[in-house]
Amino acid sequence: MEIWSLPFSPSQRAKLLSAGYTYLHSFSHLSPSALAAGAQTAWDILCEDRTMNHITTSCEDLDGILGGGISCKEITEVGGVPGIGKTQLGIQLAVNVQIPVEYGGLGGKAIYVDTEGSFMVERAFQIAESCIQDIMDKVLQTDDVGVCQENLHVNAILANIFYFRICSYTEQIAVVNYLEKFISAQKDVKIIIIDSVTFHFRQDFDDLALRTRVLSALAQKMMKLAKKFNLAVVLLNQVTTKCTDGSFQLTLALGESWSHACTNRIILYWKGNERCAYLDKSPSLPLSAAPFSVTTKGIRSVASSCKRMRTT
Amino acid sequence: MPPLKSLQHQFPSIDSNLLHFCASHGIFSVEDFLVHDLYMLVALAERQTSSKGLKEGIAQVLTFLNNQHFPWMNGVELLESTQHNKHFLLTGFDGIDTLLCGGLCEGNLTELAGPSSSGKTQFCLHAAAHVAYTYMCSVLYLDTSNSFSSKRISYRVNRLLASPNKGEKGRSLEGIMSSILSHSVFDIFSMFETLHQLELSLSSQLFQAEIQNSKLRLLIVDSISSLITPILGGKGPQGHSLMLNVGFILKKLAIDYNLAVLVTNHTVVGEGGNSKPALGESWKSVPHTRLLLSRDQMSNICNMSILKHTSMACGQTASFRLDG
Repeated sequence: MEIWSLPFSPSQRAKLLSAGYTYLHSFSHLSPSALAAGAQTAWDILCEDRTMNHITTSCEDLDGILGGGISCKEITEVGGVPGIGKTQLGIQLAVNVQIPVEYGGLGGKAIYVDTEGSFMVERAFQIAESCIQDIMDKVLQTDDVGVCQENLHVNAILANIFYFRICSYTEQIAVVNYLEKFISAQKDVKIIIIDSVTFHFRQDFDDLALRTRVLSALAQKMMKLAKKFNLAVVLLNQVTTKCTDGSFQLTLALGESWSHACTNRIILYWKGNERCAYLDKSPSLPLSAAPFSVTTKGIRSVASSCKRMRTT
Repeated sequence: MPPLKSLQHQFPSIDSNLLHFCASHGIFSVEDFLVHDLYMLVALAERQTSSKGLKEGIAQVLTFLNNQHFPWMNGVELLESTQHNKHFLLTGFDGIDTLLCGGLCEGNLTELAGPSSSGKTQFCLHAAAHVAYTYMCSVLYLDTSNSFSSKRISYRVNRLLASPNKGEKGRSLEGIMSSILSHSVFDIFSMFETLHQLELSLSSQLFQAEIQNSKLRLLIVDSISSLITPILGGKGPQGHSLMLNVGFILKKLAIDYNLAVLVTNHTVVGEGGNSKPALGESWKSVPHTRLLLSRDQMSNICNMSILKHTSMACGQTASFRLDG
């Protein structure tokens, strides 16, 4: 392996080259190992995936198009117009990831990185209460109420959401770099939500080439975290207007290069007075849409009697 | 140029005797060795007491130097080797195989560019499944965005196994899927390490003896642009050189070990609002074949067009359908 392909700084590299070392084996012992150590066969991955968990969104239709919910080991990007319910979905997922394994959840903790200041604790409290209520309703049918009441408590759920408030893009990069250490120390973190990944990169960011580089590096680091710790990453994005051939179209912000950074993409949009989610990119699921609604209890399926009116 | 003594521990015949002898004639580095009159050197070595050892050492250095460059071949040899070795790997999409005159060419680096969600990963997964099934070989899938979907591969392989013309019995889903290897790489340096390990494995005898039936024939990198975009541009030219180097390593692997290499790239908006493949002008000349993919809105039909090909006209298109 040659020196230029190793991550040395230019001055170190120059020193090594001038001393006559061009290959790694000149100064270390290298033994040939089996084909790309760490590679798994597709069969092993298939067997693992059969037991993979999904984080439910509490809306059956939305879970349906996502193949059970937000999947671990993948980055899911959620984008939409302001007011459609992105932050609501983020808070719902932060609560739902904590549903104990006995009741169909992951029993894990959540990290919520807030760049816009739109996280409201009172709303999280409300959603957590409704989530516990839903579980109790289901459990009531099997008469295990007592045990359930002991284990689930709203304060415990709120205590397991780790909240980071970010005020600039450098802080955002710093948090992502720090997350690996944090997650290794915490263990059990099963979802990272960044709300929103766009905010600090839109205004006052002059150098667009730098923005592309920084964002793609950020995405790759999140991919690595997702794979290494087997957790789900949800990135919330805003929309912008794109002008094509004289007509204006709404697309997700941060440009073309960013759209390749995620594994799955969900676009939330208004269909008349109803909120809909469209699965725009997925490696294993067909592209489809599903309606959902935002209620006092959180994200729920659409029932014809409780459609909320759009406030404009 | 490295000093002669750095070859010392690699080749035992280049011992301190030889180094001393060379030093007495002013030869300290490999470059000095090349520049010096070798006949004179050998004649002088004859006169020494340990002439046999010295001549062995000189021969060793000359062999080492000869191995540093690719052997010379003439046109006839090249043509014979191409006809003999360079086969096409069918991708499983008939329209695309016709478009590419037979499929993915071994020894070539093929690039597949397209906007987001245009079907690049699906194409790669289908091609991997089809090649592993049809040619009973291994496929290595290097994945940078955790989009390797074993479900899609099993779906494809099951359909192939269920098709009416299955010649061999006893082939199972597990057997075929076990020959498709997937590895995640998240940055350019781990990519270099992975490719280096791959080269070591492919060249070592042990590997070839172990895996007779599952020779590696297809290498897929999905996507190479996610590894390169974080380092391209910026203050120094390092990102640029790393990009070109990864391209050269992939091409070298393709030629040396007769692999078909398929990489995916994303697109950016160019002048006039048209999409063009990312990674810039310098990357354009690296792949042998470049293909552009696009998907019709809300449908399963993808269109592929040729941007660059070594033996076909550009601009030709074909479509394929993503099923399921």
